[in-house]
Amino acid sequence: MPGKDIDLSIEFLGKTFKNPFLLSSSPVSNSAEMVARSFDAGWSGVVFKTLNSDRLPIIHPSPRMNSYHYGDKRLVGLQNVEQISDRPLKDNLVDFLYLKKHYPDHILISSIMGFSNDEWAYLAKASEDNGADMLELNFSCPHMCIEGTGHHVGKAFDLIEKFTATVKSTVSIPIIAKMTPNITDMNEPAMYAKNGGADAISAINTVSGISEIGLDDLVPKPNVFGVGAVSGTSGPAIKPIGLHFIADMAKCDDLALPLSGIGGIETWVDALEYILLGSSTIQVTTGIIHYGYRIVEDMIEGLSDFMREKGIARVQDLVGRALENVKTTNHFDLDRQGISQYDLDRCVGCGQCYTVCMDAAGQALEWDAKNRRPRLIEEKCLSCMICSFVCPVPDLITFKEMPQTWNRKETAVMDPDLEKEIAHEPFIATSTEGGNECLC
Amino acid sequence: MSYADNFKKMKPGLDFGQAVAEADRCLLCHEPPCSTACPANTQPGTFIRKLRMKNITGAIRTIKENNILGGACGVLCPTARLCEKECSATGIGRPIEIGKIQRFLVEQSWERNLNLFDTPNPRNEKIAVVGSGPGGLSCAAELAKKGFPVTVFEARPEPGGVLRYGVVSYRFDLDFLEKELGDVKSLGVEFKCNTRIEGDRGAEKLLENGYSAVFLAPGLWGAMRLAPEKEPSEGLFTSVEYLAALRDGRLEEIASQVEGKTVAVIGGGSVAMDCIESAAKLGAEDVYLVYRRSWMQMPAEEDERIESLEAGVHYLLLNQPTGYRTDEKNRLTGLKMVRTRLGESDDSGRRRPEVIPESEWTLDAVMVIEAIGNRAESDSSRWYPNVDVDDKLLIKADPETGTTSTPGIFAGGDIVRGPALVVNAVQDGKLAAKAIQEYLKE
Repeated sequence: MPGKDIDLSIEFLGKTFKNPFLLSSSPVSNSAEMVARSFDAGWSGVVFKTLNSDRLPIIHPSPRMNSYHYGDKRLVGLQNVEQISDRPLKDNLVDFLYLKKHYPDHILISSIMGFSNDEWAYLAKASEDNGADMLELNFSCPHMCIEGTGHHVGKAFDLIEKFTATVKSTVSIPIIAKMTPNITDMNEPAMYAKNGGADAISAINTVSGISEIGLDDLVPKPNVFGVGAVSGTSGPAIKPIGLHFIADMAKCDDLALPLSGIGGIETWVDALEYILLGSSTIQVTTGIIHYGYRIVEDMIEGLSDFMREKGIARVQDLVGRALENVKTTNHFDLDRQGISQYDLDRCVGCGQCYTVCMDAAGQALEWDAKNRRPRLIEEKCLSCMICSFVCPVPDLITFKEMPQTWNRKETAVMDPDLEKEIAHEPFIATSTEGGNECLC
Repeated sequence: MSYADNFKKMKPGLDFGQAVAEADRCLLCHEPPCSTACPANTQPGTFIRKLRMKNITGAIRTIKENNILGGACGVLCPTARLCEKECSATGIGRPIEIGKIQRFLVEQSWERNLNLFDTPNPRNEKIAVVGSGPGGLSCAAELAKKGFPVTVFEARPEPGGVLRYGVVSYRFDLDFLEKELGDVKSLGVEFKCNTRIEGDRGAEKLLENGYSAVFLAPGLWGAMRLAPEKEPSEGLFTSVEYLAALRDGRLEEIASQVEGKTVAVIGGGSVAMDCIESAAKLGAEDVYLVYRRSWMQMPAEEDERIESLEAGVHYLLLNQPTGYRTDEKNRLTGLKMVRTRLGESDDSGRRRPEVIPESEWTLDAVMVIEAIGNRAESDSSRWYPNVDVDDKLLIKADPETGTTSTPGIFAGGDIVRGPALVVNAVQDGKLAAKAIQEYLKE
């Protein structure tokens, strides 16, 4: 069996998770029947679908979701207008009891969302009393049909602190605050959550988006009987956004809270990236919506094999390992430059490199039409590497560093004779007032 | 010689990008139908999903744990009528190229130098495997994985059996074979080549000489013969001799005999295809396939038949060989034939060839290869007189366990089934390995 010498378990908020892979609070964690199946597949824990208090009926729009395809790639993104749980609270709590009874070694995290202090407290207490190991406070659902909830709270930082404090004073189990990405700087609301008593941060919830508009009816999708709306986008398309917020929070010394990473995770590689940037656990929904619970088998095996290959015994030793390499752009060494290089023996002659270099880069390629091959003019190459992104042959185009003596040729003007006609004076700074610190 | 490079090497398999693109077409079926279609229980649905999910080591593990010869099967299996025939993607276009993905993954395991198997707790009971073809290798690997010391006895100078001496290099080259044999050797399997287990009770004596169990998988190295009235002294080969010669160092010799000449191959199966296509590739001027029934009755795979046409093979269907014409020194100068037509179906369900009277003719040919079937070597039953065999000298063994009439002696592969696929022999080896462990418990 793979991985028997590798320990994927990790400590998170005082609990031992047998691996870092959890279901996030979403359609995939809607009932004990579903969660039990996921535990059988190998997931170590669940953030159960967000509970509601039965005060207001929850009715999901129909249809609820739309797939964002890119060419023949399905579900690059998912557009979703599903609300928090539409089940009676009692049913969800009964399912909590079932899961704790039958899966005592798995971690049950109750996601809750209230409208007022007392409702937050009520749901927190109900969760704790029925076996939840921890709570996740949903400050971030971007498409609740009811005002004053979800990401509206996540954008009103004082409410985050207030509601967190309320929950903190009500229960003794650990509290995770789930952040919306629909802001500029996540460290700020995360600090409010910490000040309110949060023990960890989870991020990101879905990104507000519109993925597609019907071209006949002009209605964004999902088209809910003629009405579309801005709603939550998830899936691989949003992974870069999630990684960025996680890295920001992991690097924030004042925050210093454990993190649970969410956003576009499908494979062990995605999960590992979140871990390397500071997540101790990771959560998945869209990957499961696309492929089913079975993907956890590949997360477990893939991460185990990676750790064995690298000689790393514990997941904990990977958490945040890449953070020291995440710097701001002013740290780049601009004295070192390189260019693309071509292994033309393997070229198939499609010429996509030429098209993009001419139209989007440095016009550094010539086209040998007879032989259907590009020819690189080295001194004009910008090293943008766009050509390598479109080249269909793996590793045909690669980056190489040039010696310090090498210089890139400046982009030429079309007609030097026109220089005498320009209306132009060199800029001379006279004041630093209103300046910014951007060094780019 | 110009043919040598094309002849000795297989065409390259998929590269990384191509394999990923192909895996991307997989529908990741619920209860994957491809995974129910392999005689050796290969799980393409699992290993393709693992590749999709970037779990590449896991994908390789899925293949190799189940079948140590996963590479050979990926290359040689008639996937079009096994796993790929069941592929759901056929319903929206064409099946996933499962064999090619499997080959890619196994080649990756060599490129990445992966060590897939844990070191087992050593066992004391020594196991003897007779024959180093697919069945023997499969059984040996399974038992070695469980810690048993396994010795494989091979009559020929190098291991591999039919994978070495019965297949042409452009379909399955020696470099690939050596790598896959390396996987078996790395499990600790010992090979004793040039060691023929024969003579009176030769195989049974292994049980008396320290081996706790014996797996017989010697294959079928006898050749069915046309039984001509007189046999030429030069120019006539059996497929067994001819294919072995291409791999045992006599390639140049055969090539010089074939080049510019007319060659005929008798037979309609996959082996005949390998013989005829290789003769064409070696530079024969004209190559004729002589088969007594017609295109639809040929047992060879359809893609092999089409490939042979592309190689320039002339098909002489509905012609039945009757003998050889020779010169004064008894060297072959021609193949005598009579034309046939198809009559009623026979026991095999194929229409029977009926001779057309007075249609005799002779094809000028200086080389003829008889590829009409392999059979057990004629003295083989002497090596294991207490093991029941049938009238074709095939060993009678339980298809689920390989158990023979002699306790401790198990058998599988072609010596039990008659001519069959590599993947069938692999499965026999696996099942026998399981049965041998059960036997040793008792």
